[in-house]
Amino acid sequence: MKQLNDTIKQVAAQSLSRGDVDLVIGWQKGDLWWQSYPAFVENEQDTASLTWDPFCVANLSRYLLEEQEGKNKVAIFVKGCDALGLNQLLQDKRVDREKVYLYGIPCDGLVDHRKLEAEGFKWLSEVRKEGKELVLVGRNGEQKVNARDYMYDKCLTCRYPNPVAYDQMLGEAVEAQPEERFASVKELEEMSADERFTYWANQFSRCIRCFACRNVCPACSCRECIFDIPEPRWLGKAKELSEDQFYHIIRAYHVAGRCVDCGECTRVCPVDLPLQELNRKFIKDINELYGEYDAGVDPETEAPLVTYNTNDPAAFPES
Amino acid sequence: MKKISKDKLPQLWDRLAQQATLYLPVEEDGVVNFAPWKEGAAVNLDVINTVVPPKQMVLPQSENYLHFRVDGGKLDLEPVDVDGPYVIFGARPCDVAAIAIIDKLFLDEPCDTLYKERREKGTIISLGCNEPEETCFCTAFELEPAFSPDADVSAWDMGEYLLWKAQGEKGEALTKKMEDLLEDAGADAEKAVESLRNNVASKEAAATKEYGWNAQGVKDALEDKFDSEIWDKLYRRCLGCGVCTYICPTCHCFDVQDFSRGQEGLRFRCWDSCMFGDFTLMAHGENPRPTQKERVRQRFMHKLLYYPSNFDVYACVGCGRCVRKCPVSIDITQVIKEVGGVK
Repeated sequence: MKQLNDTIKQVAAQSLSRGDVDLVIGWQKGDLWWQSYPAFVENEQDTASLTWDPFCVANLSRYLLEEQEGKNKVAIFVKGCDALGLNQLLQDKRVDREKVYLYGIPCDGLVDHRKLEAEGFKWLSEVRKEGKELVLVGRNGEQKVNARDYMYDKCLTCRYPNPVAYDQMLGEAVEAQPEERFASVKELEEMSADERFTYWANQFSRCIRCFACRNVCPACSCRECIFDIPEPRWLGKAKELSEDQFYHIIRAYHVAGRCVDCGECTRVCPVDLPLQELNRKFIKDINELYGEYDAGVDPETEAPLVTYNTNDPAAFPES
Repeated sequence: MKKISKDKLPQLWDRLAQQATLYLPVEEDGVVNFAPWKEGAAVNLDVINTVVPPKQMVLPQSENYLHFRVDGGKLDLEPVDVDGPYVIFGARPCDVAAIAIIDKLFLDEPCDTLYKERREKGTIISLGCNEPEETCFCTAFELEPAFSPDADVSAWDMGEYLLWKAQGEKGEALTKKMEDLLEDAGADAEKAVESLRNNVASKEAAATKEYGWNAQGVKDALEDKFDSEIWDKLYRRCLGCGVCTYICPTCHCFDVQDFSRGQEGLRFRCWDSCMFGDFTLMAHGENPRPTQKERVRQRFMHKLLYYPSNFDVYACVGCGRCVRKCPVSIDITQVIKEVGGVK
């Protein structure tokens, strides 16, 4: 990982100094050990601040929506999940592929600092990945733990760890080792309709309608979101179950067929709503109705919900 | 000073809940938030901060306040009753200080009578912190992690039992009602509390010092930073969501909206966020804060310059929630450092 950390700085510096790109979007460290956040570098000398470490989880592809404007070319680092998001933005015609240079980073999983904190690992100065282990550097020295135990849930079910879109691949390809991603969905499907209603009503009661899930989502790129339209106001501002349901369920419908399962929605939710379960239900249904389809793998394939085939299943049952 | 052993707490809560709605930190699905007391609730007094601060009891996410109906040519208006008395148990000193901070705005002339009525119906029992989170920095704003001067009752977690001290009229009245459940704490209690207060405060101050900054003087430092490049760099990663504002114990901006069925409806106040694109969108279609840069700048200026200029107090209590929950790690401590507060 140290090597990649250096490579990132090098390629970024090169592309800026050669004038190939006007901007490099990557990650940089904050003051706290787990803060690795999106960085926007326009000068060669600032590339020294770029980083690649176990906390570079933020999906950068969405920033192209804003940052493309007025620039000839933007370089961006994409992990497996980020590349899927980028492809979806291309498929939705929101990003111009000609104006983007992709540095692909194969990624076998990133660390959820909250999982470390839950086990009492706090006040650290550094966390490094060494093979399958994490080295935790704290006040009392170093300690090694199994990396996979502390990864984001979304990383454990990752099926595309190697970016499917890239101009230059940095680092060695990694092997996908995904756990079953529809396990929770299947549990929910076993519930009766009333039980499921209660389950989601309980979940949504925590929702504070911050819209972090929508704002981070690569499938949510409408120039004017329906939930922001003031006249007519489709989504009221009251904290009511009906409004919460309207927001989450309609958003799930709107991204159905375009959700790349990157899991950013679940990561950013401040009250830990299991949003990926909702989106994965749609993915599972689409797979069953229209055949296996992974959004974001290839921007040229025809997406099932915008394509008509004469042998599409009939919507209504026979009786 | 009184004390109550922890295994007696459910009795205390039952008693409190008989006369008021009792809110305390309850864990559900791994998330700890203030919720009404029910027997058997999974109360969690160990977590330092709930996700959503207790400001939500004093300024709810949405509150109906006016019922309106058009009947023939007549407009009928009827105020909606404010909920009854409530008790907040286990509010951390930072969160209580935050309520006192927004009191300055809402109770100032012209007084927000809706806020006042709801505020006065509340009794706050604070629980001092025994240790700081990595993201805590209340001491930077001259607050104490283990003492809340504004609470009606201050409580401290001593392990097997809580210490309990009434502060002011409301606190005394409440303590009297709980008399039979509370014991006298004995002569050493005051010393124990003092010792605890000093320990926790110095632990936190040391930790925040490691980051090399303090908040004193940041207001003055911001006076000439309206056009600073700091904002040009900071805003770019902001997603424009409302996480920071909604989980912030001092953020208080609100909107007024209607639930309308044509002839009849409810008018309500609800949280709003200066981070949202339409926050300052005007009726004529223009927006004086057209990009995220203006909005991000506004948030920090409001908390660290405008509010203290108007009310002599920073609108930040160092609870660290925004630092923990911002999806892209926008960090107010970093902003303060960059702005360069000087003691």
